[in-house]
Amino acid sequence: MQLLNTPKLQPLRRNHLIRDAINRAIYEAMVRDPSIYVMGEGQWVKKWYDARYIWDEFPERVITLPIAEDSAVNFAVGMSLLGVKPVVDLIAGDFLFRAMDSVCNTAAKLNFVRPDQQPRTIVIQAEFLLAGPTTGQRIESMFTHIPGLNVVIPSTPRDAHSLMLGALATPGVTLFFEDREIQDELITEPDQRIGGRLGLGYALLRRNGNAKPDATVVTYGVMRQVVEQALDPMLNIDLIDLRSIFPIDWMEIKASVRRSGKLVIIEPDVQWNGVGAEIIAQISEALPHVRVKRLGAKRETIPAAARLHKHCLPSDEEILHAITDW
Amino acid sequence: MSITQEVVPKAVGFFEQMLLIRTLEDKLQALCDIGQAGDLHMCKGQEAIPVGVCAALGPQDLVLTHHRMIGWAVCKGVPLDVLVKELLHGLGGEMHFRSPEYGFMHSFQLVGTVVPVAAGVAWALKNYTRNGGIAIAVFGDAATANGQWHEGVNLAAVQKLPLLLVCENNHLAGNVREEHYQPVANVRKRMLGYGLTSFIVDGNKVGEVYGWAKEAIDLVRRERRPVMLECNTTRLGRHKQGQGDLRTKDEMAELALRDPLRNVQPEERESIEAQVKAIIERIQE
Repeated sequence: MQLLNTPKLQPLRRNHLIRDAINRAIYEAMVRDPSIYVMGEGQWVKKWYDARYIWDEFPERVITLPIAEDSAVNFAVGMSLLGVKPVVDLIAGDFLFRAMDSVCNTAAKLNFVRPDQQPRTIVIQAEFLLAGPTTGQRIESMFTHIPGLNVVIPSTPRDAHSLMLGALATPGVTLFFEDREIQDELITEPDQRIGGRLGLGYALLRRNGNAKPDATVVTYGVMRQVVEQALDPMLNIDLIDLRSIFPIDWMEIKASVRRSGKLVIIEPDVQWNGVGAEIIAQISEALPHVRVKRLGAKRETIPAAARLHKHCLPSDEEILHAITDW
Repeated sequence: MSITQEVVPKAVGFFEQMLLIRTLEDKLQALCDIGQAGDLHMCKGQEAIPVGVCAALGPQDLVLTHHRMIGWAVCKGVPLDVLVKELLHGLGGEMHFRSPEYGFMHSFQLVGTVVPVAAGVAWALKNYTRNGGIAIAVFGDAATANGQWHEGVNLAAVQKLPLLLVCENNHLAGNVREEHYQPVANVRKRMLGYGLTSFIVDGNKVGEVYGWAKEAIDLVRRERRPVMLECNTTRLGRHKQGQGDLRTKDEMAELALRDPLRNVQPEERESIEAQVKAIIERIQE
């Protein structure tokens, strides 16, 4: 297939480094594993723009589906029953609401009913934007409630690459979120390197305080970048990037809070009933002496205008205040 | 079509299979009544459909169903002890039953889900395993009001998948009648909107089901596109355990005239009953 009359069209290149890393990982996995297929609405055009090498090399493994998210995931479940490893691209996190039934009722239960059978692997991709009431809702913590689902949100291209390789090698269903609010120009040099496969459930200590840090800051997704930008490099803190919000790397968090005695969660999802609430509850039960605080997005609808929606995520001042002012 | 020629040598097996399903369900119903089994969905009166369709399938053909699945599992060759064990003690039970060893890929609790999942199986049969098999999606007429049914049929039609859609049209959605969910006279009219061929058959005549299933399956294999077999049938039991039935005695008596097993004599059931009873007792222990 050829794109007709579009030589002047350029792909949307805003914040593309993480997407490039994800596509690179999918490509590398497809080369090694002939059972991996990518699919979703408008998929061949999306791959043509974003990852031409996948479309050029494996056109028969790129499946373009109708705009019908729920059936897309159910369709992928059917394929997986015969050994295909589907990567379903649902485009936006908001569209996952359309696929709640197929994700939570069909896919998540797939491996439970026959534990004696080879577990199936399905990866479901979606991106977060911040552009209006139904274009950028943070919904990742909802999926952490459902047994049978893994949830990952890389915050650097390197992690995105490693985690996609990891998700494709992990039995079960993984929701893979791409945070398009992470700004390319702020991504630092070491992140450009592409790493090997990373299993799910491993956090990364991005900044290491001294033997007795003033606080342990736990964050993920776009807030990892926002926090790093906001913080004074001289502050004595541990900064943990969760990378996967289910399963959660309790060992890394506990090792740090045992030294610091203070836990601050900075999360991009709605704070109410969020990932931070769960982490704080579990840490408080296990280590009652640790002082805790959390800061997340407000439980408010995202306005469409950029002038208005930039206030949805915690600001630099709020972050600094949460970390330093105890 | 040569329905009669095909049917004669198979007819004995058909009758025995239908009787086996009826007997098994009666025994399970008795367990439900005393609270030793969960809320099972019985296919009493609809047995001719799984028997007729499965007789026309090969071992490479894969079945996916709604939750009224006991007959389909029996006819696809799932051993009775495996089936009964799952129904009484399994992790998935009747509504999440997976037995790929016997070509029974999945049953689904949620109405309509079976179609897109079966489309995925059909896609993999066509493009991945490429062994010439087809997928069979079994649903009731009530499922055709659901979005998943439409999304799945549309997807299967667009992708030209080897999928046989089997509609068990019992003209009921749980306990309510067509006026609440079906704006057209039959499901075939819905299929026209997707450019797909359908056959409407008397789902209570096992020979007719078998003959037209063969025809439909040949078409699916030959033309590599979905075809629907709409089987008009009668559900003679309740929707499920624990629910009443709003139909009148007169209506039920009229429906019973169409029962494919209405002339069975008790002595014909004796040996099958003994076998089924032994299996259930073994699993219960």
